[in-house]
Amino acid sequence: MEKNQEEILTLAIESSCDETSAAVLRGGREVLANIISTQIPVHQKFGGVVPEIASRKHIVNIMPVIDECIRTAGVSLKDIDQVAVTYGPGLVGALLVGVSAAKSLAFSLGVPLIGVNHLEGHIFANFLSTPKLEPPFMALVVSGGHTALVDVRGYNHFKMMGQTRDDAAGEAFDKIARVMGLPYPGGPRIDALAKEGNPLAIDFPQALTEKGNFEFSFSGLKSAVLNYINSEKMKGHELNKPDIAASFQHSVIEVLVGKAFQAVKEAGRDTLVLAGGVAANSGLESRLREEAAKRGVNFSYPSKILCTGQCRHDRLPRLLSGSGRPLQRPVSQCSAGAWS
Amino acid sequence: MSILAIDTATQVSSVAVADEGKLSAELTMQARLTHSETLMPHIEQVLRMAAVKKEELAGIAVSIGPGSFTGLRIGLAAAKAMAYTLGLPIVGVSTLKALAYHVPVPGVRIVSLLDAQKGNAYVESYRWEQGTLSVVDAVEVAKVTDIVAHCARIAEPVLLTGDVVQKKIIGKMELPAGVMTAPGQYPDAAGSLCGHARPGRAQSRPSGQCHGYRAGLYPPQ
Ligand SMILES: [Zn+2]
Repeated sequence: MEKNQEEILTLAIESSCDETSAAVLRGGREVLANIISTQIPVHQKFGGVVPEIASRKHIVNIMPVIDECIRTAGVSLKDIDQVAVTYGPGLVGALLVGVSAAKSLAFSLGVPLIGVNHLEGHIFANFLSTPKLEPPFMALVVSGGHTALVDVRGYNHFKMMGQTRDDAAGEAFDKIARVMGLPYPGGPRIDALAKEGNPLAIDFPQALTEKGNFEFSFSGLKSAVLNYINSEKMKGHELNKPDIAASFQHSVIEVLVGKAFQAVKEAGRDTLVLAGGVAANSGLESRLREEAAKRGVNFSYPSKILCTGQCRHDRLPRLLSGSGRPLQRPVSQCSAGAWS
Repeated sequence: MSILAIDTATQVSSVAVADEGKLSAELTMQARLTHSETLMPHIEQVLRMAAVKKEELAGIAVSIGPGSFTGLRIGLAAAKAMAYTLGLPIVGVSTLKALAYHVPVPGVRIVSLLDAQKGNAYVESYRWEQGTLSVVDAVEVAKVTDIVAHCARIAEPVLLTGDVVQKKIIGKMELPAGVMTAPGQYPDAAGSLCGHARPGRAQSRPSGQCHGYRAGLYPPQ
């Protein structure tokens, strides 16, 4: 008996970084339960995610998280119609725990396994906030873990235009916030501070701005800001934090905005979608909106609940099934076949 | 009452099914594929070979190390998820002990060695007494050269087993008199099954023997 598409129950698992999470979804848009076990306090002591510790924690947490999720959703395991899992990108050792558990669950239940690209998870958040959104469109994914431009050609067809060569934009925000003595997570603090400062006060560099280059690099900018702060301190100057925040954010935003609209033009798209944790940055959002209006491009970004603060991998399981459409692709081997 | 055993502690990938102590099917491979790629297809295949439905399983045995960090996590995640879904008891078996279960020979000191990198090995030694395996020196990490030198001072014959034997000892080291190497130095699921089947360890049947003397080298005592 074929189940109605709207009735399909998906168990989604995500373990790509420092959070073990599971969700049960009905029909792709309705979240019955979403359980998250965060390791952030564990890694905070080390100033970043330690991959071995992450893997260890995932193996300890994964079954309790799944069990709690099933119970909270009020469903029975045998009612699950498919299992979805993030297969990458992310920390390999961490991902493998989720992928191995998901494969085993799918086999044991006798249901299909669907591999979901982590970036797709971020992108498909927009289907929840903008129901009318349909491919093709250009997606700018900016989060604590990634900075990428993805041409979404269809529900199952993606082309990576370019991604970061080194740091993700979100990492640069956090590092600079830390040096300025702002509490974690730094992104929203810098965004707030930047509103009081002059974005043109300090001339920070913008990397890889040549035409046709869709790759990003933020390590040079990060060093330039850190050097500036150090030299100001050496000179005994009081730091003008609002100006530093505004000027740094200006450099990041101009690079992102410039490349995003270049990619829109190159791919011949009429819609730009902003996805990922840093999407909550109001400066970025307003600049993209302004530029989109000027160029006659449609602009969509997820509601803030889906992209606050960091990468928010905890939100991903609920996004994994996105519109319900991406899950039609069975990925028994979890390969990134739909990406070109 | 079949038991499924999984061993992904080394570069060898091994899955086996036993029924009441009889090894029904086993698939052990050392290819260039990752455990992540091979494990689930192998579980499926071994169950099919043994003509056992997953719903008919009575328990799962899984090697819990020492061994490869990622390999163990792949095996453990799969075993836990399967045990959870099928409602089965799960038993963890020491990889070192699983090796010793392959050599059920009395009157010999069995020394299990697993690679701990940089010339080191995880080592534990055992003796079979009245059909029971008992630990003589509990697990520790030591230099392979020191372990071999120490073996020379053991009064009874010594049998070395484990991946270190093939990687670091055979053809690379002069062995003292009375120290021999065992054939088949990689841990496998059949060894884990034996560990599972041992009295006191098992949470479910089978009991009895399922030793790894498939090669016929060591008759049961
Ligand atoms: Zn992410």
